[in-house]
Amino acid sequence: MLSLRGVRKRYGEREALALERFEAAAGEHWLVLGPSGCGKTTLLHLLAGLLSPSEGEIEVAGERLDRMNGARLDRWRGRTVGLVPQKLHLVPSLTVEQNLLLAPYLAGLAPEPARARALLADLGLAAKARARPAELSHGEQQRAAVARAVMNRPKLLLADEPTSNLDDAACEAALALLQSQANACGATLVVASHDRRAAARFDRQLRLGE
Amino acid sequence: MTLAGLSAAYLRARPLAAALNVVLLALGVATVTVLLLASRQIESRMLRDAEGIDLVVGAKGSPMQLVLSAVFHVDVPAGNIPLEEAKKLAAHRAVKKAIPLALGDSFRGFRIVGTTHDYAAHYGARLAAGRLWEAPMQAVLGAEVARATGVAPGARILGAHGIGAQDTEHLHDESPYVVVGVLEPTGTVLDRLVLTAVESVWEVHGTGGEPEDYQEITALLVRYATPLAAATLPREVNANPALQAASPAYESARLFRMIGAGVEVLRAFGVVLILAAGLSVFIALTQALEERRYDLAIMRMLGAGRGRLFALLVLEGFLLAAGGVVLGLALGHAATEALGMLLQARQQGRLTGLLWLPEELWIVAGALAVGLAAALAPALRAMRTEVAHALAEG
Ligand SMILES: Nc1ncnc2c1ncn2[C@@H]1O[C@H](COP(=O)(O)OP(=O)(O)O)[C@@H](O)[C@H]1O
Ligand SMILES: [Mg+2]
Repeated sequence: MLSLRGVRKRYGEREALALERFEAAAGEHWLVLGPSGCGKTTLLHLLAGLLSPSEGEIEVAGERLDRMNGARLDRWRGRTVGLVPQKLHLVPSLTVEQNLLLAPYLAGLAPEPARARALLADLGLAAKARARPAELSHGEQQRAAVARAVMNRPKLLLADEPTSNLDDAACEAALALLQSQANACGATLVVASHDRRAAARFDRQLRLGE
Repeated sequence: MTLAGLSAAYLRARPLAAALNVVLLALGVATVTVLLLASRQIESRMLRDAEGIDLVVGAKGSPMQLVLSAVFHVDVPAGNIPLEEAKKLAAHRAVKKAIPLALGDSFRGFRIVGTTHDYAAHYGARLAAGRLWEAPMQAVLGAEVARATGVAPGARILGAHGIGAQDTEHLHDESPYVVVGVLEPTGTVLDRLVLTAVESVWEVHGTGGEPEDYQEITALLVRYATPLAAATLPREVNANPALQAASPAYESARLFRMIGAGVEVLRAFGVVLILAAGLSVFIALTQALEERRYDLAIMRMLGAGRGRLFALLVLEGFLLAAGGVVLGLALGHAATEALGMLLQARQQGRLTGLLWLPEELWIVAGALAVGLAAALAPALRAMRTEVAHALAEG
């Protein structure tokens, strides 16, 4: 499903990530663990096609990302990858429901208001569908961001530091939600975290920066 | 969820900034629109009033005043000319037709004009009621006069001395006119005149009994027999110590040039407003761009290409401009209509805001272009948003 070979990402002289080999099969749940600054976010962005590697090959869902660019890559990403960024970044001027509908619209897919409503109901956000993101608690915002990431039934679901600033119970709930949503659309899940509490929930782990 | 819906959502999120931009642009568009509508209407009305009149002959004085007083009926005449001279001129071989005008009195602010049936015929007037005058002291009302005063055929009316400001203290109550007819609207100066025989004016002013040799009229409207007359007749007339010739076409053109300078200044003011609105749109979008770095990054993450982000910002500029244009046109037409109502009493046929000119499309195109141009630089910057960087820093 995804494989990286000899991937390096450099910013000028500085190497942000060096990864000889990483492979994940369809439907697997992976945890990328490592201290701050070890390149976890960089890895997720490489997998999402938001960054291109300085060296190496990246293949995701049968596509060589290091050879794709421009509008084709944007289109591919919209349809194949769901990302929950660390800061969530819901669009503040849109309602929660509109934030979800944005995903199929920008990916050039058919609008799916029924799926948006079902997801919101599923994640206990039905009552907040017409609220602005600012009116939501942090936990609710995170669930809305997960819902947006899985709107287009991605093949690859990525989450950056989903447990930061959460208490133990919320941490468990957030990871459980990501795993259940990944399973629901048959996606491969890659979670990046420096949080050791996350380790218990993942059999497959990639340690960076050691 | 559409691109336009997204743009609109962003505008709604900052209603004050959006309103400021729309209002600024609307004021500029309205200013330019009012000027266009008003100058066009005044110009076309003056052209219609002066149409077919090659030369005006009256007392010595300023040619502009002569044209204003005898053709457009907005100024007082400088004096009178002897009837004998007028008759001689009317018989000149270079003159095809000459219409005499005798001014001096008014009826409730509307001028009473002693003339011949030719004057009504010149503007293609038709009777709405009654008939034309057949004897002195019979009057025919222009459409606007009848409408404004409510006077109908059969009524007796009194002329007031003077044609400047209305002067009701000097009513000629010893010599009333009988209204015998009302004209249909012509869209010309005729609508605001009371027509009667030249002899009526003499009678009212107590010179009616004297022989014609001593009579006077105010002006003569002349139509040339040949185009060549334009070269010789004015000079010939001006050589006569009692007469002055003026060309309505020349004097109106001179007037337009004088008014035109003022109109240009006002139009420049309107254009400056439109450009200021463009600058304000530019600033608003550039500022919004800073706030929306993350939104734009998220959109790219969700699959939007660079072109989409460009289109989003351009669309926002376009929506602001379109709002300003629609509001501005509405405002401009409403203001012209209001101006028309306000100045009704002083106008030769009032201004209307209900007229739509093809030139307004240029205003629309210009204002939209300014909005689009203002959005261009922010849109290009939006296109270059560093997605991964923005998402990583959070
Ligand atoms: N746009 C960038 N320009 C320069 N250096 C960067 C940039 N993004 C990340 N880095 C550097 O790359 C390294 C890895 O960053 P990152 O992937 O964000 O780490 P993590 O997510 O594990 O904390 C860090 O040292 C960071 O300072
Ligand atoms: Mg990180």
